[in-house]
Amino acid sequence: MKSAASGEPRSGARLADSRRRRVLVRVSVGLLAMLALLPALPGVSNSTLFTLTLMLTSVAVAVNWNLTGGFTGYVDFGHAVWFGIGAYTTAILMSLQTNGPQVGWAAPPAIILGAVVAGVLAAAIGRATMRLKGPYFSIALLGTFVAVREIVRVSGGLTGGGVGLTLPPYLNRPLFYYLELALVAGLVAFTWWLRSTRFGAALVAIREDEVGAEMRGINTTRLKVTVFSFAGFSTGLFGGLWAYQNTFVDPDIAFVEVRTVDAVMGAMLGGLGTVAGPVVGTVVLFWLRELLWAHLLDYHLIAQGLLLIVIVLFLPRGLVGIVDPRGTSVTALWRRWTGRGARPDEQGKEP
Amino acid sequence: MTALLDARGVLKRFGGLTAVDGVDIDISAGEMVGLIGPNGSGKTTLFDCLSRVSSLDSGSIRFDGVDITRHRPHQVARLGLARTFQLIRVYRDLTVSENMELSIQWGRVGTARLFGRTDPSTRRRVESLLEFLLLTRLRDERAGALSGGQRRLLEIGMALMSEPRLVLLDEATSGVNPTLVAEIADRLREVNASGVAILLVEHNVRFVAELCHRVVVLDRGAKLAEGTPRQVMENPAVIEAYFGAEGE
Repeated sequence: MKSAASGEPRSGARLADSRRRRVLVRVSVGLLAMLALLPALPGVSNSTLFTLTLMLTSVAVAVNWNLTGGFTGYVDFGHAVWFGIGAYTTAILMSLQTNGPQVGWAAPPAIILGAVVAGVLAAAIGRATMRLKGPYFSIALLGTFVAVREIVRVSGGLTGGGVGLTLPPYLNRPLFYYLELALVAGLVAFTWWLRSTRFGAALVAIREDEVGAEMRGINTTRLKVTVFSFAGFSTGLFGGLWAYQNTFVDPDIAFVEVRTVDAVMGAMLGGLGTVAGPVVGTVVLFWLRELLWAHLLDYHLIAQGLLLIVIVLFLPRGLVGIVDPRGTSVTALWRRWTGRGARPDEQGKEP
Repeated sequence: MTALLDARGVLKRFGGLTAVDGVDIDISAGEMVGLIGPNGSGKTTLFDCLSRVSSLDSGSIRFDGVDITRHRPHQVARLGLARTFQLIRVYRDLTVSENMELSIQWGRVGTARLFGRTDPSTRRRVESLLEFLLLTRLRDERAGALSGGQRRLLEIGMALMSEPRLVLLDEATSGVNPTLVAEIADRLREVNASGVAILLVEHNVRFVAELCHRVVVLDRGAKLAEGTPRQVMENPAVIEAYFGAEGE
């Protein structure tokens, strides 16, 4: 075994990587330009823009879920709780009333404060739960989700209880569309940048081998909680925006389990732990669902379940994973999640 | 000479089983010490305690004068104690270079550098260590695609990336072909000659005898013997622990 070409400036793999990155950037800019021009096209109604805005919201939630689920391998089954908290905080602040006239907050500060509340709560919950591993963490977050929804339901004085809250209506679909498009583009760019930093690499190290990462000097708790809090903040921001557009919130539409399921499925379909994966996966899933609704009304959930099985069996690295090997596979995530299955590294020895 | 690592009365129990039973061990700067013992004698558990991967039931550990008994593993690593594992721990989905870049001395990475990219000095260190470990041509390969021996070398490289003062090597030659074992021995000698202390857990007793200044023998969690490799190999208690009493 001899060392080879140590002075080699760039290997084939690195060149292929940089070529792939250039193609990806061009495709992204092209897509963004198309989406930006969309409202100007004839025949694009407010209803279409609203549907696209909802799709962008789903993309954002999946990208945020992927920060913890895909990058660090901590599968969060209660991620939609941050969406609901952002939505409700915004709704509460905007619909504040005294005995006299309505004195609700303006939308921008209410939405930002909603995101901050979601981020702070995520930090607190993350600090307490991120020492749990695998299913224990996932179930703790699912429990958090259910508990928060019930707290909102019974706190009628503040949240309106089961009746919900109505926000002052402001219907400007193009504005919401552009705002969400800009925010999602910014979020994806931020995620891409984060993944390229030491911080991003350390998150992947946590996913790959948390004990090893600790032993290499990485303060895994700090990094996990930081990224979890950011994901909570960001999902809370989109929750606030959604509440403002929807002009109404109640516990059953703000805290929906399906929002988490969609994020997980979108990230899995696109490619876990990749930057583009959750975007591609969620867009495909969103339109697929529209199609399934239209043609298989009674069976659309079965069709979705079958899709999930197909992903696991035939596309474990997702659609983006076919060309970008830097993510992880569903099977690897499952192995780490359950703590079962020997890795090829492990040589059948007892510790 | 003041001990770089000084562990006193290390005790670790798993339920009713005492895995490490009040072991004292010290390592001076620049020393290479072997830790041997039959299967199940507590070597890896002692490693886990020393590197703080496992907590102690009693005892104390000092590293370079700092009491690390209650430290977390990343704090110990930042003080200059690195380790490898019996079951190789490399980041399988990352390339060899990325694995190395991730193993920098995180104690020197402030918040600003945490959000920066790999700097030229780190890249130079990665290249030089990969060359030292004969892994240069594999730098862009995913670690999961390497052979067992190559992964061992990579893990040693990752331990060295953090510029440690003490490296705990757990079964550095396990599953490695004999040619590569000789290479690993040469590299360890060079690392040790540069002033890095090494504590080596090995089943390959000859490997330990050739490399180490001093050998500690564990049996059933307790220290059985300690001395130069020759003293230890000739110790009847050690022979009995390895091969059983005569007539058994």
